[in-house]
Amino acid sequence: MLPPPELGNLPEIEHITRAASMAQNGRDALSKFVIRDEYIPKLVPLVSVAEDLESLADLHRLCNIMKALILLNDNTIIETVVTDPLILGVVGALEYDPEFPTHKANHRQYLADQSRYKEVVPIKDPLIRRKIRSTWRLQYLKDVVLARILDDPTFSVLNSLIFFNQVDIVNHIQTNAAFLKELFGVFDPRNTNAKRKDDAVQFLHQCAAIAKNLQVPARANLFANLISHGLFAVIAFAIKHENPAMRTTGIDILVALLDHDPLMMRGYMLKAVNEKKTPLTDTLIELLHTEIDLGVKNQLADAIKVLLDPHIPIQEMMSRAGSDPSKPRPSILNDAFVQHHFDESAKKLFVPLRQLENRATLNDMTLHEVALLAHLVDVLTFFVRQHLYRSRTFVHSESLAPRVAQLLKAPQKHLKLTALKFFRMLISLQDTFYQALMTHNNTFGLIIDIVYETMPRDNLLNSACLELFEFIKRENIKPFVLHVVEKYHDKLKDITYVDTFQDLILRYEQMQGYGAEMDSTLFTQEETPTRRIQPNGQRWHGVKEMDAAEEEYFDTSDDEDQFDNAAIAAHAQNGSASPVVKPLVDYPDDDDDPMDTESAEQKQQMDVPSAEPTTPVSAVQAPPERLSEKRRREEEDEDELVKLTSTPKRRSSSSSSGGSGFLRGKRAIAIGSNDRGTTHGLGGMAANAAPKRIAINLGSNTAKPSLSDIHSSSGTADESGEKDTREENQPGEGR
Amino acid sequence: MSDLDGAIAQLRACRLIPETQVREICYKARELLIEEGNVVSVDAPVTICGDIHGQFHDLMELFRVGGDIPDTNYLFMGDFVDRGFYSLESFLLLLCLKVRYPDRITLIRGNHESRQITTVYGFYDECIRKYGSANVWRYCCEVFDYLALGALVLGASSELEPTLTGMNDPSQSTVPIGEGELETEVLNSRGEVTMSTYRRRERESSETSTDSRNISPPRDISATRGQTPTRTGPPGTGASGNGPSSQASRTGAVLCVHGGLSPLIDSVDKIRLIDRKQEVPHEGAMCDLLWSDPDEIEGWGLSPRGAGFLFGGDIVKQFNYKNDLSLIARAHQLVMEGYKEMFEGGIVTVWSAPNYCYRCGNVAAILELGEDASNGGTVSRSNGDYGRSNGVLGPGGLDPTVISPGRRYRVFEAAAQDTRGMPAKKPVADYFLVSYPLPFLFICWV
Repeated sequence: MLPPPELGNLPEIEHITRAASMAQNGRDALSKFVIRDEYIPKLVPLVSVAEDLESLADLHRLCNIMKALILLNDNTIIETVVTDPLILGVVGALEYDPEFPTHKANHRQYLADQSRYKEVVPIKDPLIRRKIRSTWRLQYLKDVVLARILDDPTFSVLNSLIFFNQVDIVNHIQTNAAFLKELFGVFDPRNTNAKRKDDAVQFLHQCAAIAKNLQVPARANLFANLISHGLFAVIAFAIKHENPAMRTTGIDILVALLDHDPLMMRGYMLKAVNEKKTPLTDTLIELLHTEIDLGVKNQLADAIKVLLDPHIPIQEMMSRAGSDPSKPRPSILNDAFVQHHFDESAKKLFVPLRQLENRATLNDMTLHEVALLAHLVDVLTFFVRQHLYRSRTFVHSESLAPRVAQLLKAPQKHLKLTALKFFRMLISLQDTFYQALMTHNNTFGLIIDIVYETMPRDNLLNSACLELFEFIKRENIKPFVLHVVEKYHDKLKDITYVDTFQDLILRYEQMQGYGAEMDSTLFTQEETPTRRIQPNGQRWHGVKEMDAAEEEYFDTSDDEDQFDNAAIAAHAQNGSASPVVKPLVDYPDDDDDPMDTESAEQKQQMDVPSAEPTTPVSAVQAPPERLSEKRRREEEDEDELVKLTSTPKRRSSSSSSGGSGFLRGKRAIAIGSNDRGTTHGLGGMAANAAPKRIAINLGSNTAKPSLSDIHSSSGTADESGEKDTREENQPGEGR
Repeated sequence: MSDLDGAIAQLRACRLIPETQVREICYKARELLIEEGNVVSVDAPVTICGDIHGQFHDLMELFRVGGDIPDTNYLFMGDFVDRGFYSLESFLLLLCLKVRYPDRITLIRGNHESRQITTVYGFYDECIRKYGSANVWRYCCEVFDYLALGALVLGASSELEPTLTGMNDPSQSTVPIGEGELETEVLNSRGEVTMSTYRRRERESSETSTDSRNISPPRDISATRGQTPTRTGPPGTGASGNGPSSQASRTGAVLCVHGGLSPLIDSVDKIRLIDRKQEVPHEGAMCDLLWSDPDEIEGWGLSPRGAGFLFGGDIVKQFNYKNDLSLIARAHQLVMEGYKEMFEGGIVTVWSAPNYCYRCGNVAAILELGEDASNGGTVSRSNGDYGRSNGVLGPGGLDPTVISPGRRYRVFEAAAQDTRGMPAKKPVADYFLVSYPLPFLFICWV
């Protein structure tokens, strides 16, 4: 098929390979020929001949031919080119890219440099050694030599070759007990060769990195093997290392383990506590407090977040215990014990935050203190959001909320923002205990101060504050509306550059029963805050759907919030002296009667002057019939919506800055990672034009709630409004 | 700040700066960005750029074609990273420039400025490869969270100053300058005009058959040339000092956003109520602004991307009318000609990554908006709705007093190969300076 490999034939060879590459049958035939005829080994010597002759034209042709042969995308060919006798010749040809006639790459120099390889413990199996070499070369081909010209099929062939090699190598390592013994023996305290220890840590780090790509059982096996040989000791060694890069490496290994199986890791940790050993968490917390490298600090905070996370889904635990009874978990993980450890660790963890109490000023904080506090508030936000009941104890006993409130006055804006996000999260919890925290310590006063400081300039802090108050307004969280307006009425009154605060006051007045103009304002204020002054009939027809959403919102508030919030408010008011844990005010179906009385009490307390308190119920009935028809349809829609979204009350997770969420997310989203197509965006998902919700689930299936970060401002009302819009406009595109 | 100019020089040479310096710059950028609103106000003149995607050498070409910072005022509409081989160098350079010249460059967030997306499309891997750990990636992602979501260009002129340089083409020199306002102009990378369109003076006739607002980039330049400025206005109009009357030529603001509109956002002010410091969510207003695309449909549609929406011309018209906008500039979609105007000029896609992914064969463009000097440089309009006229029109009608800004597109191709070296090959040395962590570097054989 191809003429004999000689310099004189190169033009013809180049022509034929190019022509054959065009069609599939041509490619197949050429691949077969090249393999059968062992053509590449014959071609390779021409490179040095052409170089000796300094014939650039021939070298360019050789490069083109070599590229074409590799891009034939045949496993055997690619495996051949990375073998010992051929690799240097092949990349040698590829150094002379005709697209860059004035450049010459230096692949050979790199690949021939033996000093790049380090060997902590020699691997003796020749097959494995060969695989290691070819993996390394494949990686180099993929990332460097061919990066610019790779097409998708060749890219995935390279990837899968690398993957299968790695599986073999890892399998060999973990079944080779002698090797592992020697490897971990490096960390024997009697060994004084520090460099060798560092190399061994790097080696394990690379093993962990590769493990991420393996399938779960293989990965579990590998980690279990490494742990049984003493991986934790290695981690402990690394994270106390004087070199920040080594600490990063150590934590990376830890994070890989956490990422793989947080339950297992927590199990080991609790086992250590049970045996009265110093658990890893204590070490990590200590390090977090003292660490000076900000990158390492960041990683530490993330690791602690996952390790201490007390949430253990019972079912998952049972099934794991059932499937693998040898593991020590079930016996240890009784709830009281977990709670105790969590409280103790949390106490240690948040010490720097608590110490703020005695601090006169926040103006002299060092960069490290600021970073530490930001991480701590971030972790605290995470704990409370994920485990509001468990977290109550230490949040209360350590009185952390006032300390976070203190940070609202910090001179560092990003720290302010972090603190603000904590309170924004508390608000979204709709939990009486945390609501009481909010209405103490002048928290809202401090937040309003930030609004004053930043207004009327448009900036991030200001927007975050506005969003917080918009949320209270939109969700109509009565205790907060009452508290904020009653306590800060004068301050609110003066903020007029946006309508949010005037709307809050209005809403308060409506609650109090001054509802004379309510019918006209209720329906305008929400959607057109900026133009409330002159409601314009014409505009309204333009945004009909929003009307419906608006109305639906009132429906929901009638159903639940009416009683619920009133009851909560009563609690908040009565129990405001001591934020003790109240009996849970749960959602309405529990006990209707006490609620009713409470809400009646509440109304009396408010001392409503008008004879019949006007509630939003009557307001909803006011608009024309067309709307109430629409409402019925809305209600049906809402049922559907409830089915779709597993959490009816949207917990808006305002901040999950990367961290652990990401760690788990990476695997989840890697579904699309082979997609190197030129379509812009979520390429892999774009292929199947699946409805939005399903596509997004790809990302969140395996991820924790923190990953599927629901946008904080999309409350129930807006959400269904949006859905409604979509359905109306897209009858054809079924979901 | 240790030697910012040094860092800029280093990055301009496509060389990385040390990790500690990256951290400093990221922290400094954070301080700046936290002061910016979700929608940044930018005064014309400004040059608007679309996706860069780590194509460092093409970014250099962009600066060559569009003028260097701080001489030119730039606005980048996101997607600085992923896909290309030099995301780090590109993004860090832009960030350094932002820190150095905060009011000469505006960066807004694209959908690729996100943790999840960067782990899939290359930026994360690049950070690991070039710095050996994910720290730099973390710092950058932190900065991403602070980036503004959009920008509002104020005070753009409705009329372009005709480009005189490079008008050596005889067919161009015959264009009677005085027949109307120069509305759009397309220049190649050598500064030569390849196409221009004129707008008739507003009050001359309502039937402006030369309405050239729906221009699309010419595939065949000669054809476009033929049709362009053939009509002359009625005598007595045009050139002679008939300056734009205040009523007829008010140029609305230009909203710049990476993706497009959201059904949850009906006014620019609503964007202000988003707490943007978060990972790009999977749904909601913030997600839509970064993910949506315009499409030839009516109303809203599901997006094949799995996030954001498709929106039609009616939506754009309504939004622009309601918010007193004359144009929405956005990026996010590859367009082979570098830019594409849709919906009678109501929205334009600007794409600034030539030969995308080093193989798409497209050209890139940047959009220049001139400064309106007629009001003595003052800007009469604030952010959002305030102070807009209350003229009520039937639904869908365009406010006749708002006219689109003059738009000059500079189209350019991928950087010449001699200047950019070999992508992915030259950096080899760089990789190994910082120890390119190939798997099993440490296992190995003798």
